[in-house]
Amino acid sequence: MVGQLRGLWRLNQRVNQWRAMRAVREALRVAYPFILVMALTDVIGQGCLSKSGFFFQIYHIGSWLPGITLWRQALQAVSVVVNGLVAVMIAFTTGHYLARTYHTEPLAVGMMSALAFLTLNVNYSALGQNGPTGSSFLEANLGPQGIFLSILVGLGVGWLASHVMQGLAKWWLRRHQVALSWTSRIAWSLIVVLSLTVAIGYGLSWIGGGGINNLVYLSLQTLNTNLGHDGLRILTMTAISNGLWWLGLIGPIDVAGNSSVTSLQNLAYAVQHGSGWDAPHPVTLHTLGDAYANFGGAGMTLALIIAIWIGSRQASYRRVANQTVIPNLLNLNEPTLLGLPVLFNPVLLVPFVMAPAVNIVLAWAAISWKLVPPIVYPVPRTTPGPLVAYLGTGGDWRALLLSLLCLGVSVVIYLPFVRLLNDAGGVDHAA
Amino acid sequence: MRRNWWRWLLVLLVVLAIFLPSQFWLKQRITQYKSNYKTPLSPTIMVPGSSASQNRFDTLITQLRKETKSAHSVLKVRVAESGQLTYTGSIKRGDNHPFIVVAFENNRDGYSNINKQAQWLDLAFKDLVKTYHFNHFSMLGHSNGGLILSVFLEKYLTQTAHVKPERLMTIATPYNMESDSTTKQTAILRELIKGRSRLPKKLTVYSVAGTENYSSDGTVPANSVNQGKYVFQNQVAHYTQITVTGDDTTHSDLPQNKQIILLIRQYLLQEVLPDKDRVSVIKRSQHADTDETGLP
Repeated sequence: MVGQLRGLWRLNQRVNQWRAMRAVREALRVAYPFILVMALTDVIGQGCLSKSGFFFQIYHIGSWLPGITLWRQALQAVSVVVNGLVAVMIAFTTGHYLARTYHTEPLAVGMMSALAFLTLNVNYSALGQNGPTGSSFLEANLGPQGIFLSILVGLGVGWLASHVMQGLAKWWLRRHQVALSWTSRIAWSLIVVLSLTVAIGYGLSWIGGGGINNLVYLSLQTLNTNLGHDGLRILTMTAISNGLWWLGLIGPIDVAGNSSVTSLQNLAYAVQHGSGWDAPHPVTLHTLGDAYANFGGAGMTLALIIAIWIGSRQASYRRVANQTVIPNLLNLNEPTLLGLPVLFNPVLLVPFVMAPAVNIVLAWAAISWKLVPPIVYPVPRTTPGPLVAYLGTGGDWRALLLSLLCLGVSVVIYLPFVRLLNDAGGVDHAA
Repeated sequence: MRRNWWRWLLVLLVVLAIFLPSQFWLKQRITQYKSNYKTPLSPTIMVPGSSASQNRFDTLITQLRKETKSAHSVLKVRVAESGQLTYTGSIKRGDNHPFIVVAFENNRDGYSNINKQAQWLDLAFKDLVKTYHFNHFSMLGHSNGGLILSVFLEKYLTQTAHVKPERLMTIATPYNMESDSTTKQTAILRELIKGRSRLPKKLTVYSVAGTENYSSDGTVPANSVNQGKYVFQNQVAHYTQITVTGDDTTHSDLPQNKQIILLIRQYLLQEVLPDKDRVSVIKRSQHADTDETGLP
């Protein structure tokens, strides 16, 4: 075990030396405050003001807060802007930082990569038509679910534009014996980059409607449909899903937000019989994953935060944990993922995938052996993780115990890895 | 140390502030789910008029089956004077909209008989609910059958409060018996008006009258059917009166009248009829769903 951890540690150190990894980390570091603000807005917007919000419902906020529509709209406006464009920001910062390491024009390259990212997400089907036929961008891809693509684009454009610029400048100097003007350098590389990405984006629009993101998502979603009752398949699916989150592919397999037929049948059963014992579908992605393996969001990040409180000596980690604990309570964990970052962190990948998997096995066993009933009543998405199972079973204390056990086990799984990262240091973590 | 103590207290308070209200919320939600829950099974209970047997609606049902192309199964219940129930037919598995015809051994006309028949209907109804576990249903009553259903709704349905009636259609029901008078109230009408506040508030009622001439369908005076408004209007959610004229509008022909079959399909069974068959009255707006939380 210790040997393996050492190996992991060395891998981590090596990966952190890579130029691309450093660029990604730097990009996420710059984007983090924006995402934190967004998450806190979402805490209020989704948790307290939205009709389906947990706190809205338990505190009956709608009945005593005056001007609730106004509040809702104001927060939504903030959320639309920041949340809706986070991927563009990350494309910019990644390209910017990479260009800096190549000593070219960071700001120009950053803007170039943001533009390149946007060209990949232009709604090509709406172009060339008269009248309002919809948005000219695929807005869904510009938010959190576009982060993976934006990182790729940022790295690609950062590298390409820097090299085009340097090559062009060298070639011009050799040929004309004078330096190429700043404008020409930027303009020419912009033309190269944009024609390339427009070609890619246009080509992809022939294949699928929703741009490059949609392609990845569609191929993954086919795996997700009809999961059935097979615990092993649910386990594999959740593990793959969490692995994808770690890559920044947020939410292709929608573990949360599951309103499938099986859940409705379970609810109908519970309503008729008074409880969820012997419900027709005890083992589904919803009754296992949503109830016991999603505290804080994908990867049990609530447990990660507790593990950091217990075992981390990294000031930056502790700071991020304190700042993101409230969004995590409402299962909004994007700031934690991007802030630590968990994304592309080889050490944290292991517990990030393992903790939910272990929880699913625990819940699976407990439900199969009839120690706890499956969750049957719908609960809001923003319900604090450890309460989901308790409320979903209609207040079964055994489910609450199992939730706490799952949380404890996850903390134990995260702890050694968090301790391992104590030795990591240097400028990378000075958030 | 002192700081730690405060911190733990704060954590405890936050946990309680979330946990306790969520308890109340939970209780409230569960009762809400229970009261909103509708069984897939939603039968239509049919009660024939006086002197008619449980086979009174056979022609109607054959017509309905032919036209709707959905095989509504039929269960017939005959209630003896002793209260003993005899079942014929069955509700087929998977048929969520069956017809249940309830008829009585004592099917004579008259105030006291109708009251007894309502009581027998209640007997049969309770047995049906116990056997088939439905919690919402609709009703069709022909002639005095409409009176029996009305008395049943006022007097007995409250005993099975979890079963909710949705729609009632009465065909040529003489709310004021044979009386043609618009001022004199017979005993049954007086009783119905007295108990009207106990009618289910969410019920939708259609009263269909047929007329051969300007005043009667040959048996029941149009004025007597019209008196139904004093029972239902402003008591139930919607009360609609419809008068059908033309062929087959004598009292006993009404249940197999083509127009009335269309009315039954459109209003009672809530079928989506093709445009040519639709009886265009007002379009009723569907009740918007309450704002449900999405499943997690």
